Amino acid sequence: MALTIISLIKQVPVPSEMRMGEDGLMDRTKAKSIINIDCQFGLEAGLQLRKQHPDARLIVCSMGPGSFEASLKTAISMGYDEAYLLSDRKLGGSDTYATGLAISTMLKHLGFSKNSKDPFIILAGRQTSDGDTAHVPSQVAENMGIPQATFVESVKSEGTSSVIAKRIIEGGYQMMKLPMPCVISLTPTGIPPRKPSLSGAIKARNLKITTFGIDDIGLGTEKIGISGSPTIVAKVVNMVSERPPITLSEGHNEVSLVDSLIANLKKGGNVLEKKETAAKKESERPDFPEKDFRNGASGIVTWAEITNGNISRPSLELLTPARNLATQLGHGTKVMTLMIGKNIKALAQTLIEHGSDEVICVENDRLEEYLVLPFASIFAQVIKERNPEIALFAATTSGRELAPRIGMRTSSGVTADCTGLEIGEYIDRKQKVIITPILESRRPTYGESKLATILGFVCPQVSTARAGTFEVPPRIKDRKGIVSGFSPVLDEKDFVVEIIKTVRGEGGLQNLFDADIIVSGGRGTTNDSLALIKSLAEALKNQGVNAEWACSRPVVDEGVTEYARQVGQTGKTVRPKVYVAVGISGAIQHIAGMKESGKVIAVNHNPKASIFNNADFGIVGDYQDILPELIERVKAGFTFGIEPKKKI
Amino acid sequence: MDNVDTVSTDVLIIGGGPSGLATAIYLADRLKQKGLNNRILLIDKGNSIGSHILSGAVIKPDVFKELLPDVEFSEIPFNARVTKDSMVLLGEHSHIKLPFHAPYMSNKGYYTASLGQLCKYLAVKAQQKGVEIYTGFAVDEILYKDGKVIGAKTKDTGLDHHGNQLENFQQGTRIEAKITVFAEGPRGPLTKMLINKFNLTEGRNEQVYSLGCKELWSVPQGNIEPGEIYHTLGYPLQNDEFGGGFIYGLNDNKVAVGIVVGLDYKDPTFDVHDAMQVWKTSSFVSKILKGGKLVEYGAKTLPEGGYYAIPKLYVDNALIVGDGAGLVAMPTLKGIHLSVKSGILAAQTITEALSKNDTSENTLKHYETSVKSGTIHKEMFKVRNFRQGFEKGLFAGGFHFGTQLITGGAGFFGRLRSIPDYKTTKKLKDFKKKPFKERFKGKLEFDKVLTFDKVTDVYYSGVYHDEQQVVHVRINDPEKYKKVNIDQYGAPEQFYCSSEVYELHTNKSGEKEIRIHAENCMHCRTCDIKSPGLGITWAVPNGGNGPDFQNM
Repeated sequence: MALTIISLIKQVPVPSEMRMGEDGLMDRTKAKSIINIDCQFGLEAGLQLRKQHPDARLIVCSMGPGSFEASLKTAISMGYDEAYLLSDRKLGGSDTYATGLAISTMLKHLGFSKNSKDPFIILAGRQTSDGDTAHVPSQVAENMGIPQATFVESVKSEGTSSVIAKRIIEGGYQMMKLPMPCVISLTPTGIPPRKPSLSGAIKARNLKITTFGIDDIGLGTEKIGISGSPTIVAKVVNMVSERPPITLSEGHNEVSLVDSLIANLKKGGNVLEKKETAAKKESERPDFPEKDFRNGASGIVTWAEITNGNISRPSLELLTPARNLATQLGHGTKVMTLMIGKNIKALAQTLIEHGSDEVICVENDRLEEYLVLPFASIFAQVIKERNPEIALFAATTSGRELAPRIGMRTSSGVTADCTGLEIGEYIDRKQKVIITPILESRRPTYGESKLATILGFVCPQVSTARAGTFEVPPRIKDRKGIVSGFSPVLDEKDFVVEIIKTVRGEGGLQNLFDADIIVSGGRGTTNDSLALIKSLAEALKNQGVNAEWACSRPVVDEGVTEYARQVGQTGKTVRPKVYVAVGISGAIQHIAGMKESGKVIAVNHNPKASIFNNADFGIVGDYQDILPELIERVKAGFTFGIEPKKKI
Repeated sequence: MDNVDTVSTDVLIIGGGPSGLATAIYLADRLKQKGLNNRILLIDKGNSIGSHILSGAVIKPDVFKELLPDVEFSEIPFNARVTKDSMVLLGEHSHIKLPFHAPYMSNKGYYTASLGQLCKYLAVKAQQKGVEIYTGFAVDEILYKDGKVIGAKTKDTGLDHHGNQLENFQQGTRIEAKITVFAEGPRGPLTKMLINKFNLTEGRNEQVYSLGCKELWSVPQGNIEPGEIYHTLGYPLQNDEFGGGFIYGLNDNKVAVGIVVGLDYKDPTFDVHDAMQVWKTSSFVSKILKGGKLVEYGAKTLPEGGYYAIPKLYVDNALIVGDGAGLVAMPTLKGIHLSVKSGILAAQTITEALSKNDTSENTLKHYETSVKSGTIHKEMFKVRNFRQGFEKGLFAGGFHFGTQLITGGAGFFGRLRSIPDYKTTKKLKDFKKKPFKERFKGKLEFDKVLTFDKVTDVYYSGVYHDEQQVVHVRINDPEKYKKVNIDQYGAPEQFYCSSEVYELHTNKSGEKEIRIHAENCMHCRTCDIKSPGLGITWAVPNGGNGPDFQNM
């Protein structure tokens, strides 16, 4: 009854080490390949589990070209025992739906299924740096019919047949207990991956990696590769950086550095040169017949996520693209919103006033806290009954696991983390038809450098929308709409996962959304428990500025402050006029939460910190030198160019 | 310690540079010839072979024919063949091409090369011959049994800044070997330990070093021809600063430029990197770089104590090869062919030792004998006093060098003394000449077109270090360091460091402290060599950390 630990990994180009080519552009061809960072955390989680189960069998699996063997060998040199690679040309072009299907078929071929006698656990990275969807773990779980926990930071086994996972949610975390077998996806915030050992590297050198083709595992071609994928990438365009190059302060000590910053702020810093790009000639729209692919599906359904008894802000934001799409579709297209929870009916009117035409309420005492299995089941049942053409979710930690599980059930695939949603058409030059009206889901990819347009050809077209991208639509008092109920069939098996504890910072600190200046501290500022960060914010407040302080993810992890102050992908998305990032390295998760800020000022001792690529002004220096000086200046009247509203 | 992973090998080679790889290749061939089936394991701390390798380089190619007799010479990835070779006496706005070559400095028939690329090629050859190569592993401990070397251990990883074990702690692996070959390059930390433990410099000069900073540029067609090379003397160095510049035209409109400066200079504020930037602004050099773009940056030290600074090269079960053995011939600063040669000689002795099953000094001493009798001896002995002569300044050195030519290397005074570099720096109050910054006032504002500040250059080295580890450069005695190195010398490390690891911070109240940015480190180890009073120890960081040179 030994435990088997299965890690799923993907090999990706190193995102941060891509060199500047001689033409000044990022040279991707020279980028080295590594194991995707999140997957490395998954590997480590497996090695940690072995501490509890010294006799566990550790397997690492991947799907991709033969070159992926290098990463599998790295996993062996870290401590894994066996490696399997699914490699077949026919898999090329698979979307996340097809990938999830292929991987789970390989695992079944290896003898792992929900009916396996011996316990096993599948570990994966939360998402990959070259795909960013976070779908595959959910889709593998759905395909194997086993429970899952995504966005997990740490996992421990309890007894012989279950695990306790700490799942990161917006503004907090959840402790949950899952029976094995199950799928766990790991965020890159838990225990960092260990380095390979030499003895492991020697073992890896001598180990034969088992490689499967699709025929070996009995996988047909109809559901994989480009042809088997329900979604396609229709277009990729370069994204232009929205922030001009940084102006760094010059000086030899804190006084001159701060002098320089103040002078730079007055001057106004760099301005982005908008290069006029010659508009590419749109190829002419051919005279093909139009084909409505929807087979009678109609309407848009959105999910209203309830946290702490309220509708979460991203779920309200979602109504902006939903209404916009309904308008574009015309013909009285309805926006429906599904709300699941306990005693929630009273919230329906809020949704209607923000733009829903119909709110479908599912009320049940057991559904007070979000649980992926019953929620996916209910959602699928609603989709079956209402037959919508589009289903939208906010790309929260819940939305990003719920949507792919539903997409697997409806065979429709999912587009993750969109920043643009429009109705368009697809010119199919092979079949000589124009498929319309289709949802164009636009999402940033390749480290935010490109914008891809994804199309799905199976209804409902499922997309998740990045939180903080769309504004909450204005509330229209007494807007009319329907509130309806729905009685789902609930399966006891969907309640096998137990939520032990949910911890959320007080939903408060709404002030972070409205502050003019946010002073935010990172890992580098925890020496004094953020005392200097707080003092700077306090000094600004005393000057009559609407200022607040916040922090990045590691600060919360270290327990220095509460979740409600966290800015970033799994925290708040803020848009102050001035964002002062102190000791923040600038991980992409953090940037996602503050990049809409007016002016960004970065203070960091490491001149190579990536925050400097996302800031307008910067000081390279130790915060313990710079901040006391800045505080002095604020006390003397310097307010980063923000007019004080009132004098206290 | 019972459950430490242990692997056994016949030969362990620490370092995948030219000398380590040559040892491996030649040894594999010899063993095969003898029908022996011994395991050869080569470990390098770089991410890949070549990623920590830097050289000018212009290479005397003959030795590669000896190393790889069965290989078509054209297969070896040298760059352009030297076609035009000039010595230039440089001034800020002027230059004089010397109509003759200093003796021993002609490079006709030699090849330019990226030594990193060359090493990558040698690594492939070695692996084809059955050598096991593992990169990305740092070795930080020599294993002893009964006072004799029995191998080495890879570094423990998963430690915090204080050395406490973290949850992802991974214990190092013990590598037990019949023979351990130290091929770490100049001032290797393990080689240093070995030399100290067995007192291998007894009766020999202390090693002295130069620091070379190099940039690889891509320039417009026509700026310089492939194989067109220059060595410069003079600007921006003064008489008592030993060194010069190099400009090597490469294929595909690339050019390697850099300067090498002896670390025996006296000015506590001297900065080799910045001196190189000033050098580039001279009319002669800037013309060659005009319209070009920086591609890579790197730095490396090289031993130049010459013949008398070669330590004892063997102990029971262990040998030292290459730069670690101080095998660089002056005045050409050529060490690659000697490194390869030392690898070949070491391999011969190791073959003998393994066949006789005697790895004691008795057999291994034959390696040193062969180094001191063959071509290495020939090249290094005749110029044995070259470098020491320059300690008195360029003109005096030139004079000595002249006399050495006449007397066949002995000079007028027999063997010259050599003062270690950490003793030559003057205290701020004792240094009466113009300090570096005043000498080049107005020239140290870098335009990021032709000239670059250190941090920018460092970016072009691809350097990376894990955040989670014990800081790998250590101030040995912080209190003494503050009193002596900072207060009396003004923290020279902030200037000589090739990659801005050391920052002297002065706060508002005038208090000074040194701050260490180990993540920038280029692994040149100048701090271990030049810090007054040997105030700093350079240890090896986690494997795979450090620069990521592509074509250096």
